[in-house]
Amino acid sequence: MLRFILRRILLIIPVIIGLTVIMFIIARLLPGDPVGLAAGPNATAAEIAALAAEYGLDKPVWQQYLNYLWGIAHGDFGTSLLTRRPVAADLAAYLPATLELVFAAMLLAVAVGIPLGLVTAVWRNKWPDYVSQVFAIGAISMPRFFLGLLLQMCFAMWLLWLPLGGRLPIIAIPPPKITGFLTIDALAAGNWSTFVLALKHLALPAIAMSLSPLATIMRMMRSSTIEVMQQDYVMTARALGLAPRKIITKYVARNAVSATLTVIGLYFGWLLGGTVLVETVFDWPGLGLYATKAIVSQDMMPVIGVALVIGLLFVLSNLVIDVLYGVINPKVRYS
Amino acid sequence: MTTSTLLPISRRGLLALAGAGLATAVLPKQLLAQSGGALVIAAGQDIPNFDPHTATGYSASFFMRNVYDPLVRVAENPPKPVPAIAESWSVSPDGTEYTFVLNKAAKFNSGNPVTADDVVYSFNRALKLAKGNSWMIRDIVTPDSTTAVDANTVKFKLASSFAPFLQVLPWIFIVEKAVVEANLGEDSGEKYLMANTAGSGPFTVARSEPGTLYHLARSPSAWQPGGGNLEAVIWQIVRETASQRMMVQRGEAHIAVDLTSEDMDSLKDAAGVVQIIEPEYRTFSIKMNTAHGPLADVNLRKAISYAINYKGILDAAGYADIMTGPLPSTIFGFDPKLASYETNLDKAKEFMAKSAKPEGGFKLKMVHVSGLEQQRRWALIVLDSLKQLNIDLDIVPMNWPDMVTACKSAETFPDLFPVYQTANYGDPDNIAFAAYHSSRNGGWQNAVYKNPEVDALIEAGRKETDPAKRVDIYAEFQKKVVDDAPDVFGVVERRKLAMRDNVKNYHFTPIASNAIEAWGLSLG
Repeated sequence: MLRFILRRILLIIPVIIGLTVIMFIIARLLPGDPVGLAAGPNATAAEIAALAAEYGLDKPVWQQYLNYLWGIAHGDFGTSLLTRRPVAADLAAYLPATLELVFAAMLLAVAVGIPLGLVTAVWRNKWPDYVSQVFAIGAISMPRFFLGLLLQMCFAMWLLWLPLGGRLPIIAIPPPKITGFLTIDALAAGNWSTFVLALKHLALPAIAMSLSPLATIMRMMRSSTIEVMQQDYVMTARALGLAPRKIITKYVARNAVSATLTVIGLYFGWLLGGTVLVETVFDWPGLGLYATKAIVSQDMMPVIGVALVIGLLFVLSNLVIDVLYGVINPKVRYS
Repeated sequence: MTTSTLLPISRRGLLALAGAGLATAVLPKQLLAQSGGALVIAAGQDIPNFDPHTATGYSASFFMRNVYDPLVRVAENPPKPVPAIAESWSVSPDGTEYTFVLNKAAKFNSGNPVTADDVVYSFNRALKLAKGNSWMIRDIVTPDSTTAVDANTVKFKLASSFAPFLQVLPWIFIVEKAVVEANLGEDSGEKYLMANTAGSGPFTVARSEPGTLYHLARSPSAWQPGGGNLEAVIWQIVRETASQRMMVQRGEAHIAVDLTSEDMDSLKDAAGVVQIIEPEYRTFSIKMNTAHGPLADVNLRKAISYAINYKGILDAAGYADIMTGPLPSTIFGFDPKLASYETNLDKAKEFMAKSAKPEGGFKLKMVHVSGLEQQRRWALIVLDSLKQLNIDLDIVPMNWPDMVTACKSAETFPDLFPVYQTANYGDPDNIAFAAYHSSRNGGWQNAVYKNPEVDALIEAGRKETDPAKRVDIYAEFQKKVVDDAPDVFGVVERRKLAMRDNVKNYHFTPIASNAIEAWGLSLG
């Protein structure tokens, strides 16, 4: 098991190299003049050249690439042309916000999606199943930003239950940074009221993000549960007179979940890369907004940095899922 | 409807009450009230960098105007220079020597007095870094030509007389030499000042959370006269204009700075909200390729200028005013008697007949920023207008960086290129030089237009110190430019701000009015 994990972690190195090469090539192929753009409309040619030299952009591409790899090895992800801030510091500031949102959304999706999937499978072709089917189609086809706006209108404007956006009210002092997850940091600091505030701010964007994976997980769980329920051993268990509840929770659910795990892993990566719309609607200071702004202004260092981090997280989340398969089902344990 | 016998209240009313009870736990308004005197500004732009000599953008301007001090500030409408660190100044008759007497009360946040030495240091630093706003004084203030006559007097010897000098000074900020020198590093203190400050402004940074908010607190050593009662100013980043609007409506923000015309319309009857809709110097025009392709023909350009449906352009612009020439009608030097273009198909056809292609039957290319709905609508209006001259229009949405790249040569520059231009300082020189001087060719503000006579007038206008003569020069400039028809002159957008009615002492100044200057404001 340990060797399997180690081998998979080593695989990350070629992934990094591949990602950086691709991103560097894309950055070169793009038409446009990011340095001129960053220098502003009133800059002279000499000032633009000086800015390019300051960022090492006057050097040949291969040299820029090697410098970049050297920098990454030392925790330096380069500097943004536009804001002049180090990318590593920006990533450290924005990544936790996005991760907190994605984890919260996935937690919701899994915690609601899996039981619902089980229930609808057991009651298939009865009314709970039909209702959930309608809900699933609606949730998958509803654009996330639109759902976000609807939630805002409903809960923030009419009912006044939840805030419009942001991670905390502006006057609340954030807890000391440990993980960057405001909810966890607030708990760690023992600050219960900040935790509640952070949770209230997290609620709407997390719901907006979670509905589509929730629906998919639910449908996936439903179909794999139905499949498992038709297996011989379930029939045997029934014939032996085991309690139906025990059959479902102990034998069926466990086997049905492993197929759903794949979907969960994929969705996690998909959400990481797709937070921008929800972040815009809810003013969530996360990675998606940061990357979009950089892409629009062809500020390549932040773009490469974000691609790397998301790529890495994607690889890691798949690794976690692979390990979880083994935990849930000893038959697929790796040696 | 069920009504409780104990409480004469409907179920819905009860729900609303419960909502309000919850709201007190959720809404920052209540929290704000506790803190007292914090002005909250909802704005879409993050403040990327605190260094007053490298940062750009209106968010950075907001930051600098409140944390740093310039020699003079800009105030009133029309804008004029008012004392800041300099309490008075004098100009030599030829307009090349400016002497500033510094306010002895001026103190940095460190408690040290602001001296002439700091002023000289700041100007030299801005010029050396050659970033941010330094282009405004480039080739006018030269390195080491600024001298400290004594601790409280600074003298500038300009390379040549420059009439708008007092209008650009509000954008060059003074840093404390000792602090920057102590943290110089290898980059003139750029790294240090990116996240630290060395200013004398009325506010200091209390908290900064990139991407979320910047909390500035009133400096205990604030020396500036005439301040309001604000204890703090909070620049809160709210990306959606609709969210900004809702925040002002709900009283969660006192000022929203990025509102659209639609937002303003829906705020019309909102209680407790004051709307400020004022002309500023932000122009929209459609540049034509005067150097390459069919539009190199001046008669064709005039034909198009007469064919455009200006009413349509104005209607699509929301709160705006039609331009009748290259300068906004509210700026100094605008000629109200200027004869310009209006929608007139007969005249359009007249000029069409004089052109090399009187029958039309060709295609022009117009680009616009993709995703910018207003520009797309303008492109459709142009398409419609040109049909009357039997000219086809190819509309190509592009990313802004690609549009900027297209400006590099006349061959890559499209026939029609829509562009917004914002005046950075309150003088016609700003717009004239950036948008019509040939030294700017290759950049997006003026990619191709070149007329030596116009160049000469622009240069004369910035050198001349007699305002009456400047008016004449700019009148001539406007006439010449209109005659060349390098642009379809579009509209001047009005600035749209929404404020809670408890914000007191606000006075609109048509320069960078979204970079709110908070010192004079009070909350009532």
